[in-house]
Amino acid sequence: MAYLTQPNYVKYACSCGLLKPITKMYFCRHCLKLRCGYCVCHEVDSHYCSNCLENLPSAEARLKKYRCANCYDCPHCFHTLSIRATSVTRNSEDGSKTASKLYYLACFFCRWTSRDVGIPDQASATGRWPERENENSETIASLIEYFKVLALKERIDKEKIFHTPRRNFSHFSKLGMTAALVRKRSGLPSLPLGRDADLTSLPTIVPSVASETVEPLPAEMFTTAPDLTKVTTLSQRFSQPDIQPELTSEMWPIHKHLFIKRSQRCRECEHNVYKPEYNPISIRFKIQLAAFYHIPEITLLSIGELKAGVPSEIVVRLCNPTQHLTSVDFRPLPSAMEEDLLWERQVQLCEERERKDSQRTSLTPGSLNTSLGSSLTLPASLTRQLTLYEPPRRVRLDVSSSVQLPSCGIVLPPRDDAAEYDDSAEKHNFQDDPEVVVWRKSNKAAVKFSITPDKTLASNEEVKCGFVLGYGYVNTMAALEGHKEPQRVELQVKVLLSLGTVVSDE
Amino acid sequence: MNKLKIASSAVVCVESKLKGTVSVGSMTVIHPKASVIAEAGPIIIGENNIIEEQVVIMHRLKDGEEWDESRVLKIGSNNVFEVGCVVNASAIGDHNVIEAKSYVGEGIEITNGCIIGAGCQLTVPEKLQDNSVFSGSSCSLSIAPDRPPAQTLQLEFLSKVLPNYHHLKKVKKPEQVN
Repeated sequence: MAYLTQPNYVKYACSCGLLKPITKMYFCRHCLKLRCGYCVCHEVDSHYCSNCLENLPSAEARLKKYRCANCYDCPHCFHTLSIRATSVTRNSEDGSKTASKLYYLACFFCRWTSRDVGIPDQASATGRWPERENENSETIASLIEYFKVLALKERIDKEKIFHTPRRNFSHFSKLGMTAALVRKRSGLPSLPLGRDADLTSLPTIVPSVASETVEPLPAEMFTTAPDLTKVTTLSQRFSQPDIQPELTSEMWPIHKHLFIKRSQRCRECEHNVYKPEYNPISIRFKIQLAAFYHIPEITLLSIGELKAGVPSEIVVRLCNPTQHLTSVDFRPLPSAMEEDLLWERQVQLCEERERKDSQRTSLTPGSLNTSLGSSLTLPASLTRQLTLYEPPRRVRLDVSSSVQLPSCGIVLPPRDDAAEYDDSAEKHNFQDDPEVVVWRKSNKAAVKFSITPDKTLASNEEVKCGFVLGYGYVNTMAALEGHKEPQRVELQVKVLLSLGTVVSDE
Repeated sequence: MNKLKIASSAVVCVESKLKGTVSVGSMTVIHPKASVIAEAGPIIIGENNIIEEQVVIMHRLKDGEEWDESRVLKIGSNNVFEVGCVVNASAIGDHNVIEAKSYVGEGIEITNGCIIGAGCQLTVPEKLQDNSVFSGSSCSLSIAPDRPPAQTLQLEFLSKVLPNYHHLKKVKKPEQVN
């Protein structure tokens, strides 16, 4: 798996216009598009503590400020704290000695212990450690309360103004959701509706008072040399924003932040491209549509000497990860003008489709519901898949060489995990052009083509080349969705290769 | 010049490399492939120390210097030298932990209760404060309130187990060596 760590020599263009290595991309099997982390919807599935692996429901996690109640981080180096035991003998009242265990928190990395700051040892290992009270907590709570009511009031005032039914293609109804649903989905508390809320009085808050006088610095500040081992660093202060200790003796264990398991959803068709199992102990996925399971993978095998203006030969390996036979071909990248035209046409097409769609939905009774009121019934559009048309984006490919691509396509056999162990594997008789295909082995083939770095390139400037990779993809989803036969589709992806730097002539 | 003095209860494996005049105190354990090299003067190792595999403790000869019997590198008691650390310190006190793969440069005086964290590289010649703790890639320094606990259990275990699987250096009296 060296390609997970090596620099990204081969990049694919995502549908959102970004260039990414294949390992960082997803492939939506429903709309047959490449997706990357920037163009999927991220959803929090569950909260868990990475240390004790406790799974917390999101409401409880919010209540606990997204921190674990039992696990702590070191305030000094932010490593997880461990519980250590010491045995002490205590003299009981009748004079006999009893051995008992006392527990304290210790960092095994920087050797910070809870004893350093005078936190008393605990008699039980699982017991709650003393919490430090934040002196401002009351003020903060009252402020939050105040602004919650204020926000609600403003919202209701706003709704009074816009009482007329909203336009159908507003943001919410397009997703088939009402404002309340959106709030719920994004994890915000639901607001009490309309007449139930008491809006006559805002809670009183005590405003802060600015004072003219500033406490003078203590005299020691000027007389004694600073002891840096006793002063906290900025990152140590920021890790405890409620206290912001200035001295190391004031640092308290930090409750560990909760981690999340998240699922990722295709923005266009709302199908999941990535969904982990809920259980925090499990590292498996329910759905994992990583791009390297679906689209041919390209790896650079060898690169000839790169000189400006001189053709050289590169060999890439193509690998078919799917269970189906596929054919790949190479096409040159469209020129800037062609791309502009193509892009404009696609945007137009997209807008047109959207317009048609919105006309259609405005007639269905389901959408009427959404426009009339949120509290009536679940709109029918929630159960129906709504497509969100995304205008395509232009991909910026800075190419600094011309490529002479093989004119013929190449057939790649399906992946066969057992082929490696099978000596008598059938030899595929492909009519390969020896000028193009260097070698072939099970589902892989090495392809040779020649590139010419631009003449204008100075030495040590990077050589990049790009092409459009066309590949056949067998859409098995179509079979599941009711069509009888798996559909075969031809897809294209733009690929950018970073070949290294130009060597000078000398 | 090559005088080796090993206390009777010390465990010094044959595969360890002891060069120059080295004296090993009682209950000290030296693992195989550890090297203690006395170039500039004798090294006197105290009691209850653990010197693990691939540790290099050097009493380095500077340019233009010669072996000097009176220039002693004294290593105190209850120190732990973890796997792969390199120590060129000029003096080492008691109850120190030199963690794995750390480096202590020349001219550094390690006092008592110090912990040099894993991978920390100390190069500035200075006398460390008692109970200094260095940790992390930036060698951030903090002062612990007390020294690390002694590794008595580990020592007992090692002195029991190591002789079962390794040949030990024979305990010799210094007169016999000469």
